[in-house]
Amino acid sequence: MNFALSIPLEHVFVLAAALFCIGLTGVLVRRNVMFVLMSLEVMMNACGLAFVAAGARWAQADGQIMFMFILALAAAEVAVALGIVLQLSRRFDSLDVDAANEMHS
Amino acid sequence: MDALWLIPTFPLLGFLVLFLSQGQLPKIVVAIVGAGSIGLAAIVALVVGNAFMDAGAEPQTQLLWTWMRVGGFVPEIRLYLDGLSLVMTGVITGVGFLIHVYATGYMWDDHEEPEGFGRFFAYMNLFVFAMLMLVLGDNLLVLFLGWEGVGLCSYLLIGFYHRDPNNGYAARKAFVVTRVGDTFMALGLFLLFRELGTTEIQASLVAANIAWPEGSTMATVIGLLFLGGAMGKSAQVPLQTWLPDAMAGPTPVSALIHAATMVTAGVYLIARMHDIYIISPEAQFWVAVTGLVTLLISSCTALVQTDIKRVLAFSTMSQIGYMIMALGVGAWSAAIFHLMTHAFFKALLFLASGSVILALHHEQDMFKMGGLWRKLPIPFMSMLVGSVALAALPLTSGFFSKDAIMLTAADNPAAGMVFWGGAAVAAFMTALYTTRMILLTFFGEAKTAAHDSSGWNMNGPLVVLCGLALGGGWFGLGIVSGVLPDGGMTTHDHFSQIALVTMAMPLVGILTGWFVFGSSRGDVTQLLGTVFSENVRRFWYSGWGFDWLYDRAVVAPFVALARMNKNDFVDLVFKLAASTTRGVHHLLAVIQNGRLRWYAWNMALGLVVVFVVVMWEVMG
Repeated sequence: MNFALSIPLEHVFVLAAALFCIGLTGVLVRRNVMFVLMSLEVMMNACGLAFVAAGARWAQADGQIMFMFILALAAAEVAVALGIVLQLSRRFDSLDVDAANEMHS
Repeated sequence: MDALWLIPTFPLLGFLVLFLSQGQLPKIVVAIVGAGSIGLAAIVALVVGNAFMDAGAEPQTQLLWTWMRVGGFVPEIRLYLDGLSLVMTGVITGVGFLIHVYATGYMWDDHEEPEGFGRFFAYMNLFVFAMLMLVLGDNLLVLFLGWEGVGLCSYLLIGFYHRDPNNGYAARKAFVVTRVGDTFMALGLFLLFRELGTTEIQASLVAANIAWPEGSTMATVIGLLFLGGAMGKSAQVPLQTWLPDAMAGPTPVSALIHAATMVTAGVYLIARMHDIYIISPEAQFWVAVTGLVTLLISSCTALVQTDIKRVLAFSTMSQIGYMIMALGVGAWSAAIFHLMTHAFFKALLFLASGSVILALHHEQDMFKMGGLWRKLPIPFMSMLVGSVALAALPLTSGFFSKDAIMLTAADNPAAGMVFWGGAAVAAFMTALYTTRMILLTFFGEAKTAAHDSSGWNMNGPLVVLCGLALGGGWFGLGIVSGVLPDGGMTTHDHFSQIALVTMAMPLVGILTGWFVFGSSRGDVTQLLGTVFSENVRRFWYSGWGFDWLYDRAVVAPFVALARMNKNDFVDLVFKLAASTTRGVHHLLAVIQNGRLRWYAWNMALGLVVVFVVVMWEVMG
């Protein structure tokens, strides 16, 4: 079967790069830990998009398999991260990532 | 003969008992152990010596054990007994025992160091042990062990009154100055081993006679290096400056170490290695010159000292100068003879001066003494006997030995009359300063109240030593004549001109001394009135400026260098490492600030860098 891509690969990569940068900017500038996690999700999905597009372009299953990994990774990350967020809000009564900084340098 | 090993063992055991008990033993036990161990050693030495003479004075050895085994280098701890080491052993244990007995009285109520009684005897016993190993060892390594051992004990005992920093300085000075000589000695030893392949004394002497022709350079070099060692230990010019300062130790120490035994180690070394000096007459000539210079310089210095112990210290230097000169001119057995008689009368003089010093509550300035002859009869008699022996009045022990040295020196082909003349001048000076010492100390007005508290254990040794100092000359020299090449004392016409002058010198000296210092004190002040004589006096008083010279030439540059390098430049390497680590630490502390977004920024930046580099590679 030939899954010939009607959209040019470059366009997909530009979209993925744009999404990645948006996510990265969110991680770097947001202080609220929920938004940081959401931005991380955006970045991972940008990667997933690039993998899927590349897999389709060269007709390899690897791209979709990598996306499966990313999904699993995202699920695991959310499970752990939400636990940490819960602890953060309980202990520091805040969702600000900088509030947890106890190093006095 | 089998008992030979017991001689050094008793002092060693005494040391161990006293050292390990750490001053916990009662004083009376310390006294018995300390003096008794030497007494036992002396008895064994007497028995062994008798057996040795009965057996025909054949050299005997006793192998104790092998020290180490390194390839072909197998030094053995082996004791060697011949006439020379027997005389030395007899002097060390015999005179040493008398001094130990005296010290039990002298140190009993010591005010400066009341807790040090056990420590004192521990060091003294260790010293006797080291000295016995020095003279009994049949291996230059064992000799060197004893050589360093006596140096260590000398250091410990000079600094015995360690609460006064000056004494610590004197002890360090003695250690450092003799160390210079020890270095020469060690170099000579290494060279000898390289050339002859053995450090055993007898074997190396035999090998030296085969390996080196007469006048061989190697023999000269080794001979001069050993002379350097002897200079340090026996306080000969130019390494003599430590001996006067060594008088900081308690008086029995001065008697034992700095008069009777340790300082004679250099004389023993040269006598023991005499074959090398016979192979190399040049080295032997320098031995004689060293002795001559020392005896002249120190007898002048002794004349102007004010401290009674310093007078005796300089007189020791000058008497050892006689011994060294005797070795240099080939009067081998006369040198050992003088060593023995000197041990008798100098121990006597020091112990008698110790009694005087103790009676005056540690006053050592002769100008604060005077008029003591009635209050301190036994020390006075002892001092008088010691002095006449030192001045070598006819028929005392010093006369026989010094006479033999001077007459042999006069026969020396190289510069006989110079050696004889120097020795004669020094003999005159000796009589002069001895008379001065006696007159200042015991006659004239009493200036300090004396309080004689010496018991039998102090007076007994004095009386015995008086007998030895007077009659020690009758021992003669038969015992060492088999070992040393000149075959005993050289016989001379005792009524030749030169012999008469030699004999007259001490008498002239004493009469002059009596006239100058005794009759009317005005003569001396008049004599000292001129600027010239005052300068001479000051020059002589300072020991001919050697201390001044060494301070300028060695100590000052060294101290300056040390001050310049106070922040040791080698430390820069380590300081660099430390400051680098500290810098990195500060850097890491800045970036590890715990702010999550700062870390994310850095990761992103790293990602960009990696990306750019990869792209550069791909595109380029």
